[in-house]
Amino acid sequence: MYTDDIIQIAAEAGKIILENGGETYRVEQTITMICNSYGIPRTESFVTPTGVMISITNNKNQTISLIRRIHIRTVNLRKVSMINNLSRQLVSNPLSIVDIKREIDYINNLPAYSQKTTTFFSACCAGFFTLLFGGNYKDFFIAFIIGALINYLSLFLDKFEVNSFLKNMLSGSLAALIALIATSLHLVGNMDTIIIGSIMLLVPGIAITNAIRDTIAGDLVSGISRSIEALFIAIAISSGTSIVFKIWFLLFGGTLI
Amino acid sequence: MILNSFYAFLSSLGFGVLFNIRGKNLIIASLGGGLAWLTYLISGRLQPSLVFSLFLASMVGSIYSEIMARLYKNPVTMFIICAIIPLVPGGGMYYATLEAVKGNFTVALTKGAETLFSAGAIAVGIVLVASISTIFKKIKK
Repeated sequence: MYTDDIIQIAAEAGKIILENGGETYRVEQTITMICNSYGIPRTESFVTPTGVMISITNNKNQTISLIRRIHIRTVNLRKVSMINNLSRQLVSNPLSIVDIKREIDYINNLPAYSQKTTTFFSACCAGFFTLLFGGNYKDFFIAFIIGALINYLSLFLDKFEVNSFLKNMLSGSLAALIALIATSLHLVGNMDTIIIGSIMLLVPGIAITNAIRDTIAGDLVSGISRSIEALFIAIAISSGTSIVFKIWFLLFGGTLI
Repeated sequence: MILNSFYAFLSSLGFGVLFNIRGKNLIIASLGGGLAWLTYLISGRLQPSLVFSLFLASMVGSIYSEIMARLYKNPVTMFIICAIIPLVPGGGMYYATLEAVKGNFTVALTKGAETLFSAGAIAVGIVLVASISTIFKKIKK
């Protein structure tokens, strides 16, 4: 019974880290740490971006294993950090099973930033990237609007559980479309910087970083799958923008650019 | 240059919020983005290679992140992602797409290759720092 509880807790903690953008080795490390701190002599875990597999052997030489499939992949680094610190605390100061379950539940149910806040900051993000790449203040406002709209679009698409390829493609199209319209109305100085600034919002920063970190940590399977994820996101963004460009050129000619 | 780095700081801050980083970690992580961009700009003045500038900037960003992660007891990813984000070659990707749509495939391929090299330079920067930091960890033990 006791071993059952421990493997469940370890799997839950690992799952939270993996779902919220932690690296593969961190998940494996956390699982091992939790099991070790409750006196399990042997723990093996195999983690990929799509699932967690754990097998533990207790003092009586009984072996049990557990598989958790991961379907959601969001980014919430606060949860990653809190679970990570919790598992490190356990080594020096093991909590009771009930306490740690409550603690993990609490972390998992922590609220994210509100919708308004994320919309505002993604708008700021697009706007300041546009300034960073050499846009002027008019460009800033257009990019600011695009950033907010991209956030609304992704929240809207999330309701229908649209996959990330289509989501990025539509967001890229939206950015290109609004930038083209704004340029044709002579509202902006430089269309390129607006589009670049807005698609920076979609760029797969976390996938790239984790792909690199996983690969050098020796988790080759995860490294490759995350690289493919990053590549697919990049393809989605550029095909989204290029489709809009192509249609615009066909309709209005290539005079704008 | 300073103003530009401040924009990079603000962009990283926006990303930090989207990634749900809170409190003082948010500010520290975003400062990494500003610092990396400042390095990129300074290096761009001193020598002409864009890829090398990105490499240096990614190294500085990673070193900063490793140090902050040790100081504030948080996962390195939290800081590295915000530090690297401004460097990601979104511009190269865009120009490659645009030229391909216009039918200038030679220019598109040049831009595409440039984008790949830039991404590679950033990756090598992160790898180098992460690998060296494991040596430091071993020495400490």
